[in-house]
Amino acid sequence: MTVSHRERIVAAGRKQKTDKLPFGARIDVWYNYHAGHGTLPEKYKDKNIVEICRDQGAGSQLRLYSTWKVWYTNLEVKVTENPPRKTTEWRTPLGNVSMTTIFTPQEGPWIAYELDHPFKKREDYPVIEYILQNTRLTPDYTEYNRLEKIAGNDGIVMTGMASYSPMQQIMRYWIGFERFFYELHDNKAQVERLFELEKELAKQKVEILSKLPLEMIGVCSNWSDEFHTPIFMKYFVPWLKETSDYFHSIGKLTHVHADGEMKRLIPYFTETHVDIAEAWSPVPMTSVTTVELRKAWGDKVTIWGGIPATLFGPQYSDDEFDAYVKNMFKEIVPGYNFIVGMGDNLPFDGKIERVGRVAELIDKYGKLR
Amino acid sequence: MFDYAAIQQAIIEGDDEKTVKLVQDALKHEVSPADIVTYALQAGMATVGRKFSEGEFFIPEMLFAARSVTRAMDALRPRLGKAEKLTLGRVAIGTVAGDIHDIGKNLVGMFLEGAGFEIIDLGTDVHAEQFVEAVIKYKPNILGLSALLTTTMPAISATIAALEAAELRNKVKVIIGGAPVNQRFADMVKADGYGHDGGASIALCRKLVGK
Repeated sequence: MTVSHRERIVAAGRKQKTDKLPFGARIDVWYNYHAGHGTLPEKYKDKNIVEICRDQGAGSQLRLYSTWKVWYTNLEVKVTENPPRKTTEWRTPLGNVSMTTIFTPQEGPWIAYELDHPFKKREDYPVIEYILQNTRLTPDYTEYNRLEKIAGNDGIVMTGMASYSPMQQIMRYWIGFERFFYELHDNKAQVERLFELEKELAKQKVEILSKLPLEMIGVCSNWSDEFHTPIFMKYFVPWLKETSDYFHSIGKLTHVHADGEMKRLIPYFTETHVDIAEAWSPVPMTSVTTVELRKAWGDKVTIWGGIPATLFGPQYSDDEFDAYVKNMFKEIVPGYNFIVGMGDNLPFDGKIERVGRVAELIDKYGKLR
Repeated sequence: MFDYAAIQQAIIEGDDEKTVKLVQDALKHEVSPADIVTYALQAGMATVGRKFSEGEFFIPEMLFAARSVTRAMDALRPRLGKAEKLTLGRVAIGTVAGDIHDIGKNLVGMFLEGAGFEIIDLGTDVHAEQFVEAVIKYKPNILGLSALLTTTMPAISATIAALEAAELRNKVKVIIGGAPVNQRFADMVKADGYGHDGGASIALCRKLVGK
């Protein structure tokens, strides 16, 4: 019986055995850059991500930010775009806040970074509370349905909480990491009030996501142990556990985009009941080896990743690449509960042929008993 | 000799109010402001940096310690003579060309400033020639280059090459950092140091300025 890439990926997420190592490649940074610059290889000029990965022998990830439309009541939102910058201003009866994002030429507008954050002073708390209280989400599955058709049996649509769990949304989006800890210390009640409002908003997201036929839902992204460990048990674990348990009750898996330094978070991860740690980026991009992670998590967490993004780039030779991947296979014996992938993307200067090389090496060395 | 341990401990605990109070007490006892900076503030921050690198401390501890030092310096500044050279050295820091990530650079800058260095923040997307201009203008002891994308790492080597072309390479120590950067890359581009984290950058910079 032929097993598809998608079936293998989902089976590994469910801790079920399959015929060989699943391979769920993420190549959107490489693809978007080269498609935008007209530098895709000739044979791929009219192909999409799934088709390219299929040609290379890999399953694929298709990224989708959210499956809803956002509506605001009793406030105005003004968006000003001056590529690569985009400024969003929320104008409320209690005051205004704004945020500017920017993207790099290498990653494109699909991956934008915050230049500042809506929260800039203590007086912004009631404004942000007002925004959260006046935000409504309605399902919009149009783009999901379109991507699902493209994905078919070879890809997985990676979508979920629009990246972040409630407290991560406050840390990363509303306040920013640099200011967050000062605010949590100096204005704890206000930060926790925002947390409660974000949790309320998260209920709307969970409800919308629960209607998707998708097998797995993303519940958070971008942890780094130096930031998150001190507050993880109090502000992350309870919500992640409750949300994962809910999605489990309706037959779905949960995943987090675990692309950062995880060392001191490893002992707490299983408390979250999250099934899959995706975008796993081992040494040299973080300080943790795949062996350490497997030893710590055993059969409880499926690891998706394992090949550092840098390895696909020109600073490593083909022999070094092969040696790394083969060694990774040895480290993960017997190979269950593991989905091969990038930590966390094929970089714009990465070699697409190495995606195919991973698939070849899986066929040669990655069969599972 | 004045016992600076209590001030150091207040910094380690991230208690800015206690740090400032103890500094003010020290001043009342006619302890030299310069000595307070060197033996209490810089020493306390060095300990915090070490604990961070060793995995005992996290970002919040570093931030609160840095804030304690900043507030202590605000209390000391009126009492510091103009001639007193209290910084350990001058560090110019920026994110390289094509890279707009700033959180790592900002945090390292905060920690180094708390540890006693003077920081010149050059911002993000800094091109090689701009780094060269900064070295000419500011004459830093150390130039810090940050890259958070594998695709912008080549800008680090381009910057070092530009310094060599301008005959400035031996006038400044170059340290590099950022998520995709590692010691292997640092050796390849012949940087003077690689900082794995903000805490390590304190010890590294002190070593490079010979303190």
